[in-house]
Amino acid sequence: MVLGGGIVPSMDDRRRRFEAQALPHLDAAYNLARWLAPVDAEDIVQDAMLRAFRAFDGFRGGDAKAWLLAIVRNCSRSAGADARRRAHAPLPEDDAGAIASGDADPEAQATRASESRRLNGAITLLPNEFREVLILREMEEMSYREIAETTGAPIGTVMSRLARARGMLKEKLL
Amino acid sequence: MTDMSCPEILRTQAWLDGELDEATAAEAERHANACAACRAFVADAAALSDSMRERAARWTAPPHLRTRITAAIANDSRRVRINLRSENFWFGAAGGVGLSALAAAMVFFLLLPVASSTFLESVTDAHTNALMSHHTIEVVSSNHHTVKPWFAGRVEVSPPVADFAAQGFALVGGRVARVAGAPAAVVVYRHGAHEVELFAWADKGRLLPRGGVSHGYRTMFWKEGDLDLAAISDMERGELEKFVQLVRSEKQ
Repeated sequence: MVLGGGIVPSMDDRRRRFEAQALPHLDAAYNLARWLAPVDAEDIVQDAMLRAFRAFDGFRGGDAKAWLLAIVRNCSRSAGADARRRAHAPLPEDDAGAIASGDADPEAQATRASESRRLNGAITLLPNEFREVLILREMEEMSYREIAETTGAPIGTVMSRLARARGMLKEKLL
Repeated sequence: MTDMSCPEILRTQAWLDGELDEATAAEAERHANACAACRAFVADAAALSDSMRERAARWTAPPHLRTRITAAIANDSRRVRINLRSENFWFGAAGGVGLSALAAAMVFFLLLPVASSTFLESVTDAHTNALMSHHTIEVVSSNHHTVKPWFAGRVEVSPPVADFAAQGFALVGGRVARVAGAPAAVVVYRHGAHEVELFAWADKGRLLPRGGVSHGYRTMFWKEGDLDLAAISDMERGELEKFVQLVRSEKQ
């Protein structure tokens, strides 16, 4: 009982710290999983969050977002069927209309939706290692160092992949 | 076809992404302005950034997933409490990530020191100097019909001025300042306890970085018509983005 009294609060404390430091990045985690493996994104994120929670004692400060996204990325890869899955995955176009649109005019709205579909489709067609750096840079606005931390690639590689990704996306959109 | 023929293209990109220290940024900026391949790269990358921000799907976790995860963590918390032992596997895995991150960080510090750039430094300096001297406002008014004409004759540019009080950004006034040596109009807004400033100066064809953080202040840059614009504040990134969206959607 004496032992239990000491441990119970520390577990709750760990949970509180995790909820304060990691849970705020849930949307970022889901966005990355959705772009890497559209079909299994929910399972991947749940798996990653639980693994992150169990490993949380090993996380000594630093960038919680980059750390968490590294686990999400590993989970979506270790499922091992990235490419296979992507081949069957529907393009994330069904919800393109969900993106906030300031246009009241239905015609402008339709144009916007079709531009969104085209852009989403082009991003989906990028190979994984290029798609992920682009998502992390342009959507999560992460620094090169954070992207390197998440992807496990050296900074120089992050930089060249990002430049290639931008070039490839531009060509696909031409 | 993206022209990546210039050997400096990665440095130009790092400048665009706000990753360079001030001295390197100044050099990179000079080069980018003079090199056709780099100019084109910056224009393309900035356009892509804009369209991704505005039009690409950014997924948010569905509420039921959040609930499921919170429950799973609570459950796991109990389980661990009973076992009094946590699994060691992910300790190891996370350790590996940490180690490669450390290696990456060391390369980073050798390659690229702290993030900043000349426009970024210049706007940040103008903003913080005004804050420190309590001299942020030369014309006090919440009426854009008063603020906009006040700039005429004082500065060569006519900045977009509108009141976004309904959206939480109240117009409080304006002043003039200098950004990278050029006169700039500054429109001052208040958002709760935060001050947000919109800088506008004449677009002289110099390239702009997309944004960055310096001395705790975040700045976002964009071009519109014949103006270079920058919004700066110590607000959360999301709030500053909201403000920029408001300004950009306001047709003058």
